[in-house]
Amino acid sequence: MTIFDEELGALRERVLKIGSLVEMAIRDSVKSLVERDSDLARKVIERDHRINALDVEIDEECTRLIALRQPKAKDLRFITTAMKITTDLERMGDLAEDIAERAIELNEEPQLKPYIDIPRMAEITEEMVRESLDAFVRGCSKMPYEVIKRDDEVDNLNAQVFNELLFYMIQDPNTVPRATRISYVSKYLERIADHATNIAEMVIYMCEGKIIRHMKIPEEE
Amino acid sequence: MAIFDEELKALKEKVLKLGSMVEAAIRDSVNSLVERNSDLASGVIEKDHQINALEVGIDEECVRLIALRQPMARDLRFLTIAMKITTDLEQMGDLAVNIAERAIELNEEPLLKPYKNIPKMAEITQKMVRDSLDAFVRGCSTLPYEVIKRDDEVDDLTVKNFNELVALMIQDPKIVTVAVKRTYVAKYLERIADHATNIAEMVIYMYKGKIIRHVESPEEA
Repeated sequence: MTIFDEELGALRERVLKIGSLVEMAIRDSVKSLVERDSDLARKVIERDHRINALDVEIDEECTRLIALRQPKAKDLRFITTAMKITTDLERMGDLAEDIAERAIELNEEPQLKPYIDIPRMAEITEEMVRESLDAFVRGCSKMPYEVIKRDDEVDNLNAQVFNELLFYMIQDPNTVPRATRISYVSKYLERIADHATNIAEMVIYMCEGKIIRHMKIPEEE
Repeated sequence: MAIFDEELKALKEKVLKLGSMVEAAIRDSVNSLVERNSDLASGVIEKDHQINALEVGIDEECVRLIALRQPMARDLRFLTIAMKITTDLEQMGDLAVNIAERAIELNEEPLLKPYKNIPKMAEITQKMVRDSLDAFVRGCSTLPYEVIKRDDEVDDLTVKNFNELVALMIQDPKIVTVAVKRTYVAKYLERIADHATNIAEMVIYMYKGKIIRHVESPEEA
């Protein structure tokens, strides 16, 4: 059982690791846009394979642990939730890559307007990722309800960005290609926040133990 | 063991059921746009909770089967992949809801031009969903590879659609609001196709049996 505890500990570390890689990808992709640094954007794109590799590794480890240790109840739910969470994290990495791609395109054009809401969205989103994973690894001591609430902030900022950009596009049609790309960046961040919300919901679901009630396992309480 | 086989069969049915609900949601959401039928769009939005409920139902059943039947190797991988696939399907449902929401908004405005790219994208995307799930329940053939190839077609149509709309926006800035919403619909379909591609990739991964190597000996590690 101690070996299994250690294995679970190592799994937690890996989930946190992929989380911090994703946070970094979000931060750097937005930074590459705001600071017009396309080299940084290319780095985000290059580094995405590390996130993908870690996603696969975590999945394999989870499957190995289920097969080998035949965990029950709490541990089993933890492991199956980990497998679902990594999918969301991997997608967030893809979205950061999309942001980096748009950044490279936008950095080649004159800047339309200073970026104000987008860095703010990125900040909130990174925090959402961190808090949802914190709640996951800490094993239900802290429920990530805050994360779900903050998703509305991001949605509102996304709507605000979009409305502002519409104004630019209507005033001057030449801004359309740039403005549309910026609106995509904002959309990508909104989707990253949605993925963080998914994680938070899964953690709450895991902790509330709903699944346990349906299990008819003799040795279960 | 016969019971377990039946349980697996029932699970496969449920995954196909979820898939057909998602396909219907994609079809109806795009029809609601093309036929300017906002009631149909409202129907898609209302029915989304059925997709969510089935996702949770399948997840619970997977965890129950893992705990109760302690499957090894192939069956275990099938169950863990099923849990990951439902996340993709549920998110496709959310995207169909997004399409329906944009359809309701767009149906209130005059029609900009007939929809050509979007119905085509919807058609390809639905087939991708169907084929990826077929490959999942029936075993890996050439199907998942075809799904991955067709993702490029959808990507190309998204770009084509975007460029056409940008050209219209530059000519007439008054249409920007409507045109941008249309680019969003195409983006949603592109993301649905991405989710189908994810499923296809997982199916290939599952049937290649990489994970099997690690569970050969229960005393290992």
